Amino acid sequence: MSALNDALLTLPARSPRTTEQPDRHLRPLERPRRRRPRVAYALIALAGALAIGAAQMGLSLATTESSYRISALTQEKNQLTWQKQELDDRIAGLSSPQYLAANAAALGMVINQSPTYLRLSDGKILGAGKAATASSAIDPLGKNAVGNALVGDTPLVTHPDATIKAPPVDTEEEVATDAASTLPPPITDGLPTPTTR
Amino acid sequence: MTTRSTRSPRRRTVVALGIVLAVLAAFVVRLVDIQVVNADQHVKDAATKIGESIVLKGTRGRITDANGTVLAKSTLLYDGQFSPVNVVKYYDPHSESPPAVGWQEMAARIGAITGQSAEEIMGIVADALAKDPGSQFAYLKRGLSTEQYRDLKELGLPYLSFTSQPSRVYPEGAVAGSIVGFVGADGQPLEGLEKAQDACLAPTDGKDTFDRGKDGVVIPGTRRETPAVDGGTLQLTIDGDLQWYLQQLIAEQVKKYKSISGTITVVEAKTGKIRAAAEYPTVDPNDIDAPGSFLRNRVFQDQFEPASTFKALTAAVLVDTGKANPGTTVRASGRETFPNGAKVRDMGLHKAVNYTLTGVLVDSSNVAISKLSERVDPQVRYEYLQRFGISSGSAVKYPGEAKGLLYPASQWNNQQLHDTNYGQGLTTTVPELMGAYSALANGGVRVPLSLIESCTAADGTVTTPKTGEPVRVIKESTAKQVTSMLENVYMQASYSKAIKVPGYRVAMKSGTGQKSDNKGHYKSGVWYTLMIGYAPAEDPQYIVAITLDEPTKVKSSSADAEGFQKAMTQVMKTYRVMPSTTKATRLPVYK
Repeated sequence: MSALNDALLTLPARSPRTTEQPDRHLRPLERPRRRRPRVAYALIALAGALAIGAAQMGLSLATTESSYRISALTQEKNQLTWQKQELDDRIAGLSSPQYLAANAAALGMVINQSPTYLRLSDGKILGAGKAATASSAIDPLGKNAVGNALVGDTPLVTHPDATIKAPPVDTEEEVATDAASTLPPPITDGLPTPTTR
Repeated sequence: MTTRSTRSPRRRTVVALGIVLAVLAAFVVRLVDIQVVNADQHVKDAATKIGESIVLKGTRGRITDANGTVLAKSTLLYDGQFSPVNVVKYYDPHSESPPAVGWQEMAARIGAITGQSAEEIMGIVADALAKDPGSQFAYLKRGLSTEQYRDLKELGLPYLSFTSQPSRVYPEGAVAGSIVGFVGADGQPLEGLEKAQDACLAPTDGKDTFDRGKDGVVIPGTRRETPAVDGGTLQLTIDGDLQWYLQQLIAEQVKKYKSISGTITVVEAKTGKIRAAAEYPTVDPNDIDAPGSFLRNRVFQDQFEPASTFKALTAAVLVDTGKANPGTTVRASGRETFPNGAKVRDMGLHKAVNYTLTGVLVDSSNVAISKLSERVDPQVRYEYLQRFGISSGSAVKYPGEAKGLLYPASQWNNQQLHDTNYGQGLTTTVPELMGAYSALANGGVRVPLSLIESCTAADGTVTTPKTGEPVRVIKESTAKQVTSMLENVYMQASYSKAIKVPGYRVAMKSGTGQKSDNKGHYKSGVWYTLMIGYAPAEDPQYIVAITLDEPTKVKSSSADAEGFQKAMTQVMKTYRVMPSTTKATRLPVYK
């Protein structure tokens, strides 16, 4: 019994020790501990919102900026298109056969009729085998010229005073006087012999 | 009491929540109404306020020759317009700051750009104001070039505005002008291939829609673009340089021989590709109103009686049916009456001679060919002519292309029975005749002609027109014999010297056709003359035909000799056809 008593006695003696633990004690939590994190979150949220706002504004500015840039480039493109058109207009017809042939004819060139071919394999001459004549097979200058309103009144490159419609009047004479000054000196004592070794 | 005090705030919460929900519901309803129910209407309303839509114009396609040289391309022209009322306002002397340059001086500056005088320009404005003092519109000038347009813009005049017009430029002018055709001032194709091939050339318009901000800048993210599709490139079989030469040549020949008109056509014998179709008078599509312009195409749209050029076909029928060969003889004089009463005569009167079939062609005897042709049933001859392509038009299908008129053999009267042997009493066209001769040149096979190489769409797809399969008309041996006879025509006819193409063997035939006066008779004293031939005869590469309508300086087909000679020589030169290395066999004309 004494042992039991001992046991019984010891039990209550232990229980006050457990009830005395501080965790089990209810007490209000201190306020400042809960408030401090709230401000931080608010700041973060605010900063985030501002950042988003700034980013959006930046993006918006960038797109508007590029919009203006596109506008400027479009304008530049238009300018260049006009310039190209202008240049196209200016050269239209200059590559036409009418203009080319008229320029050549004003220089005194003629269209020869029959070509002669030299066959390399056996050295045989094929074709007419005759020298060209001074007369042209067709006359690309003057009133019979195939029409081209684009270059009809354009001065010829080779004869700036003349056009296809108004051909040079006295080519013969001019060629003669020009030729006298530009031709090499006439050969007086036979053909020159090249010196070869 | 405790229950009441607790119930009161709960009810307030419920009521507040109810109100909030009601407002929210109202917003939702409105939102759905705006975004879903009436969305289209609102988008439309917005579009009219800030939205804009521009039609994107595609560019009309180019027309090029066989080598890619541009024959037709698109450009822009501008119409300048005044607002006369604003001119008056702008130069109002009572305004606070009148412009530094006065109206008269400015009119002179504008005129210097447009090529008008200051008076003309002031007149335009004054006339418009006289008609309507509040006039807002008067053309300064239409069809201004880009250079003029930009110079005018630089003047910075607030009363001057511009609209652009798509327009066509033909860099080569009248070269192939009668084939290419032209486009009207309003951009509508009017003639030639511009019209016939519009499906290839015409662009498809696109659309660009976007919203604009207050300062006119496009609001990002609002642009929706359906791009325009440019027209395709039309490539012809024509060689521009050869075409130019032949046009120059035919213009000179028509004038020299005082004819109404003339044509020269070149066909590549083995492929049927038309390399040139020159004519005079013709049209410069850049300036269709120029004096002397002829807007139709005679090569494709005219028909005529082909006369003696048909004797080659009759001879081919005779040889192919085995009824004759180049040496077959026939006795004929210059004028004979046939048993059926028909009268046939030659160009010149002559006594009865013994012709060979070759001689019939060389001397071009109508009587002799008619006599020989009696050996073949007319129906057989008719069927041959059909196979030669006479009266069926060409595969080109040129707009308004003519077809020859060939009556069925059963309807031929006694005179036509003979006339059809030498190309009278029926009509044909240049392309039909070229097609028929292609059978003689190609060993008996007629190739369909073509004028269009291809159409290349903007996305690169290439379409080539279908021209049909070649047709065998006569045996290869027949074609050879006829070619040999036609070579003898070239060598022995009265005009032989005039048509000599140095270095080449040529097969050809001339024709001097009577012309209908459209009243059932033939015109007297004038003829439709032509020459058609191919070279080199040993391996024909090109067929050349020249026609002169009613030459008066020389009235017969001899008028065509110079043109034929020059044209054939040029064709051989252009295509670097090597001169012949063999000699033609000389056949007897008489026996």
